[in-house]
Amino acid sequence: MEKRYWKGVDELNNDPEFVRLRNNEFFEHLPLNESLQKKAESDSSTSRRDFLKFLGFSVAAASLAACDAPVKKAIPYVVKPEEITLGVPNYYASTFADGSDYCSVLIKTREGRPIKIEGNEMSSVTKGATNARVQASVLSLYDNARLQQPMAKKKRTEWNTIDAEITAKLTEQAAAGKKIAVVTSSMYSPSGKRALSDFIAKYPTASHVVYDAVSYYGMLKGNELSFGKSVIPSYSIDKAEVIVSFNADFLQNWLSPIEFARQYGETRKLRKGKRTLSKHHQFESMLSLSGANADQRHKIKPSQQSAVIASLYNKVAALTGGTSVNATATPLDKSLDGIAKELVAAKGKSVVMSGSNDPNEQVMVNAINFLLGNYGSTINLDRTCNLKNSNDAAYAQLLSDMDNGSVGAVIFWNTNPAYTASNPKAFAATLAKVPVKISLSDREDETAQGCDYVCPDHHYLESWGDAEAYKGSFSLMQPTIRPLFNTRQAGESLLKWSGSAVADYYTYIRNTWNAVVFPMQNGMSSFDAFWNQSLRDGVFEASFVIGGATSFTGNVAAAADLLGKPAAGIELTIYEKAGLGNGAGGNNPWLHELPDPITKVCWDNYFAVLPAYAEKMGWRQGTVIEVKVGNSTVKGPVLLQPAMSDETIAVALGYGRTNCGKAGNNVGFNAYPLVSMTGGVQKYYASGVAVNKTVEDDYTFALTQTHHTMMGRDIVKETSLAAWLKDPKAGNAPELIASPEGPKTPEELDLWKTEDEPGFDRLNHAWGLGIDLNSCIGCGACVIACNAENNVPVVGKDEIGRAREMHWIRIDRYYTSDTTKENAEDKGLGKLDMYGEMEKPASDNPQIMFQPVMCQHCNHAPCETVCPVAATTHSSDGLNMMAYNRCVGTRYCANNCPYKVRRYNWFKYSDNDQFPYNMNDSLGKMVLNPDVTVRSRGVMEKCSMCIQRIQYGRLDAKKEGRRPKDGEIKTACAQGCPTNAIVFGDYNDPNSQISELFKDERSYHLLASVGTRPSVFYQTKVWNRTEEPVKNHHS
Amino acid sequence: MLRYVYRILTINALALSLIVIFQTSTQAQPNGEALFKANCTACHVVGEDVVVGPGLKNVHTKYKEDWLIKWIRNSQALVKAGDPQAVKVYEQFNKVAMTSFNLSDDEIKSIIGYIKTESEAAPAVAPTPQVAAGSDAKEGGSSLTLILVLLTLIILFVILNRVQKGLQRVINDRNGIPEPEKLTGKAGLKVWIRGNKKLIAFLFIAVSVVGSVAGWNALAGIGVNQNYAPDQPIKFSHQLHVTQNKIDCRYCHSGAEKSKNAGIPSPNLCMNCHKYVKKGPKYGTEEISKIYEAIGWDVDAQQYTGKTKPIKWIRVHNLPELAYFNHSQHVTVGGVACETCHGPVGEMEVMKQFSPLTMGWCIQCHRDTPVKMEGNGYYSEIHEKYKAKYGPDAKLTVEKLGGTECARCHY
Repeated sequence: MEKRYWKGVDELNNDPEFVRLRNNEFFEHLPLNESLQKKAESDSSTSRRDFLKFLGFSVAAASLAACDAPVKKAIPYVVKPEEITLGVPNYYASTFADGSDYCSVLIKTREGRPIKIEGNEMSSVTKGATNARVQASVLSLYDNARLQQPMAKKKRTEWNTIDAEITAKLTEQAAAGKKIAVVTSSMYSPSGKRALSDFIAKYPTASHVVYDAVSYYGMLKGNELSFGKSVIPSYSIDKAEVIVSFNADFLQNWLSPIEFARQYGETRKLRKGKRTLSKHHQFESMLSLSGANADQRHKIKPSQQSAVIASLYNKVAALTGGTSVNATATPLDKSLDGIAKELVAAKGKSVVMSGSNDPNEQVMVNAINFLLGNYGSTINLDRTCNLKNSNDAAYAQLLSDMDNGSVGAVIFWNTNPAYTASNPKAFAATLAKVPVKISLSDREDETAQGCDYVCPDHHYLESWGDAEAYKGSFSLMQPTIRPLFNTRQAGESLLKWSGSAVADYYTYIRNTWNAVVFPMQNGMSSFDAFWNQSLRDGVFEASFVIGGATSFTGNVAAAADLLGKPAAGIELTIYEKAGLGNGAGGNNPWLHELPDPITKVCWDNYFAVLPAYAEKMGWRQGTVIEVKVGNSTVKGPVLLQPAMSDETIAVALGYGRTNCGKAGNNVGFNAYPLVSMTGGVQKYYASGVAVNKTVEDDYTFALTQTHHTMMGRDIVKETSLAAWLKDPKAGNAPELIASPEGPKTPEELDLWKTEDEPGFDRLNHAWGLGIDLNSCIGCGACVIACNAENNVPVVGKDEIGRAREMHWIRIDRYYTSDTTKENAEDKGLGKLDMYGEMEKPASDNPQIMFQPVMCQHCNHAPCETVCPVAATTHSSDGLNMMAYNRCVGTRYCANNCPYKVRRYNWFKYSDNDQFPYNMNDSLGKMVLNPDVTVRSRGVMEKCSMCIQRIQYGRLDAKKEGRRPKDGEIKTACAQGCPTNAIVFGDYNDPNSQISELFKDERSYHLLASVGTRPSVFYQTKVWNRTEEPVKNHHS
Repeated sequence: MLRYVYRILTINALALSLIVIFQTSTQAQPNGEALFKANCTACHVVGEDVVVGPGLKNVHTKYKEDWLIKWIRNSQALVKAGDPQAVKVYEQFNKVAMTSFNLSDDEIKSIIGYIKTESEAAPAVAPTPQVAAGSDAKEGGSSLTLILVLLTLIILFVILNRVQKGLQRVINDRNGIPEPEKLTGKAGLKVWIRGNKKLIAFLFIAVSVVGSVAGWNALAGIGVNQNYAPDQPIKFSHQLHVTQNKIDCRYCHSGAEKSKNAGIPSPNLCMNCHKYVKKGPKYGTEEISKIYEAIGWDVDAQQYTGKTKPIKWIRVHNLPELAYFNHSQHVTVGGVACETCHGPVGEMEVMKQFSPLTMGWCIQCHRDTPVKMEGNGYYSEIHEKYKAKYGPDAKLTVEKLGGTECARCHY
């Protein structure tokens, strides 16, 4: 059976618009840009004659000006810091912890300026992995929208003044017996917690309330019901052979996605003699990143999930001798039999997860894991996860206290409830009733707008801090730049207001570590030595004794009876996107421009629905609908999303910010009002939703994928584990070309004689990239890593709509179609009909594949031969080079590139008011990598395989008189990849990882039949499925 | 005309005589001067001023030679021994102990001799700049000569032309040919043009050829700032520091070995010496005080004030931003001497751009220069491969190893 992949609904439907775009891959019409043109035309009174005069004058002026070189200043440090050598980066270990993600990181600084985030390989939690949000966090440091000084009643003020006022008011409120609440997002900083308790000691009426926009309170409660302790366990997905996830998008957002992605990646590798794969089942109603990667994806409606879990419990219980519970029958019961068997067969080596915030569902899931003996192996209740500790009940109580006037002061720290509230108006009214309102936000966000005082916090790259992500897993945060503005660490503000004897947070953290962390080790006797070591490493791992056996004390039957019942009608599921997450980093243009891994939409959220369902409802792509949950109505456009559950709408949080900054304000719409409180917990789905079609014009999305079709050719190769075990070349038949002498390999029919090419012998290095499609999860971390490393400009929604995105690496996402060449005959389809059908949505649950595509650095590059000015040439170490200053912008190369990886600078994206992103202001420009040119208008650009890193690493080796070590040089995408799916190396080094991988039978070149001989290769995707192996039509 | 010749001769003679004077004076005490500059200039000048230690003018008359030798060898021993003269000097100059010098008697004597000569000489005129001026004049001389020759030719041409015309008139008079009617204005021009077609054609071609060449050169020279020598905020002399004080380039430009940037030293590095060297030979305290102002050093109180003011040097070497250049690649790996690209910095009173820094200049060097492979483990294996490819005796230039590929410098 052969599968066809298609790029989107438009392709499946052969949408006329799509066909038009496909036929003109550089879709444009002159004049270039309506928005630019509109203004120019209406305002202009310039005649042709005037124009020529101006032209003549400016040419003359320019040439005169060019004769005199501008005087450039060179200003050295007055006192050069010892550790800084100009032009040599320094790396500092730190911690990214924004209340949503946790990641131990290394900060690359140049001349005291952080410019890039890398994963810290010394961390036992994240192990060097990152995600898109962590990669993009460096840009938030240079955000113009950050507050530059404390604000009192919307007026600028000084720290002394504001501290005096706040202290007086807090004292007054406490004396009056009024409650003081400090609202934070999940708090796992030991020093932060200590500062809070000091604060509470000073103001006895104070309390600490933890509120997360996306809550895990249900999970904490479920665990309390099950084990008597309100904790979240740690998961070791790398030890799991069978992974069952119920709407837990653990690769993208759930709990600790960076850590899980790295663990999951390990289970998906087929290297170094490892011949096993994890088996991943995902039950979900929308298409999540985890679902897209699952070996088997089971579509359910949100309200069915409880019943499916109960049913799975019964089946596992039947096999393991547990007691059964009442469960509603579901259509999935049959497949659950098989899953239960797989789970039981992998007893102790499986894991079941649920993304639900319903405590009873979590109890059921815990019971399943307990029956399977997973506690102590894949799940550890002793090594507790501190990353999520919000308390929905306490927060609800706080809101009602605020409402009835018993709260005298409220402090918001790293939380933005005015934006994330399900009823923003009601929240504003409630907040207004509190006499003293203080925000520690770094900007005048939605909540800070309603506060009297804003005491802006540092960015995390300017801060001292610490974190205990898991019990015993400590990490430190250290400043890598002097504070840019007159801001102050939130922790320090609290210390100030509590009148703490230690006024600076650095000393405070040191004291905490001296008292709490230092005694946990016995290797070092001096605290200073311990501190320096921990600060250098960024992490400290305490060893602790794992407690006794876990006993499950929950009442499964009771929990089962309390589960929600499957509902009829339209349902809504609410999720977070890969880029923006919960919306905290809403002003980060890199994240906005990161195409959603699944939908490939930039700069928007939407209501995703199944195309068949949309058709039934009379909706098209872009139809604006109103969705009503309870009393909240939210309006937004429809996006056709295959693989969705029927009668289900999915919507992403994190959009529709109104006060985060100019890049992020009013992008998309706010879906938080659709989150409801049920049974004391936040509920991220809804049944019985009312939907209304509006009469508004269809909305246009900025989609990156349909513009880059590969015309349905054989691009992603796949096979099944069983087939691969039998034949390691399964699914990877060589691509042969018909010739008069029979089928031949592209190499045999080569137009070029290799020996004629100077330098093709690659005497020194032969650089290349290997991409394992089996462990690539399509998350997009590489895209942002590349943005940061290579000064890739942000172009905005309009330009992306014109297919002018500038990303050097893209991740193609393909869906399968059920009609294949093999089964077309059975279906009685003729050739024409077959091709038509292959483009049609034959299946409502297609497989999804991801493929990162960057410049393939072809050794027989089609782009090089067509460049009229030799601006793109080949290097003797296998790189396709691009000399911007030589390029005259003919774009022949892009037309001739079979991979469509070349990007044209339609505009000057820096210092141009039309593109009001980071390259347009002096602050935002500080993020630029000084080793990479900022390209100007009219030139082509593309992936350079991070040539600056190659140059740097190679020079380092030369200076030390040795060959570069394998793994020493990494491209930004390879380093940022959470699953190590991308490997960079030297083919000429026989011991390098890349040489070893390339020898593997799974390796193939993209579009090998074109004969481009790329330096980049891919490895066949191997599914762990019971179905028959996929047959390749070439075999 | 003769004026110019005379001037050139005078300038040359002057310059030559200066060089002769300078050379004779140095030849008298070569040892002493060199030793003085190597060992003493950090703290002393031959003059009245106190730098760190006292000014040494006429020091040979104040103290006996024997005592001076002892003092220079080990001043502290003398002080400890209670030598009254030594104790007096020690206390007079803030009890700053003078470094001991392990020099022979003859060497110390030659230093004293040098001080004697210098003290007796009239207020010293820094000889070097004059030599420089002299050589400048010489350089200018060659182009002046060219202009002179041209001028002579033109004048000769004009005179001969007049003579010829005058003679013609005489002949015409004698033969009774009336003088032709003098045409003026347009008509005259027309007649002239008709009569000088060849000349005009020649001029036209000459002007267009010369114009094109000049235009081409002018355009090619845009952005090429060879010999760019801007005035700097501090009149820092490389000549003094490099040649006279023999400070290694990499003491101040330490990045050259480690980084792409050689770096301009920060004032705190200057203070390593200038905490003690408070006076320069040419500008006295004027220029050095600018360092103090930058770093916030209170000379009187001998302490830092904390008020700093960065020095805004004018950048001399402006490589275009689109080009990647790494000093450490050339200095540490390639073993290229600083002077190869930066020229005789030790002779530059004002720093100037010695090389054109054009791409052609870079490439030429990459084509000509063999890669220094011996002793570097990076090359040991590939050296054999390249030898096999290009022959055992072939010059393995940077170019052969891919050093002229675009992306080595442009990305």
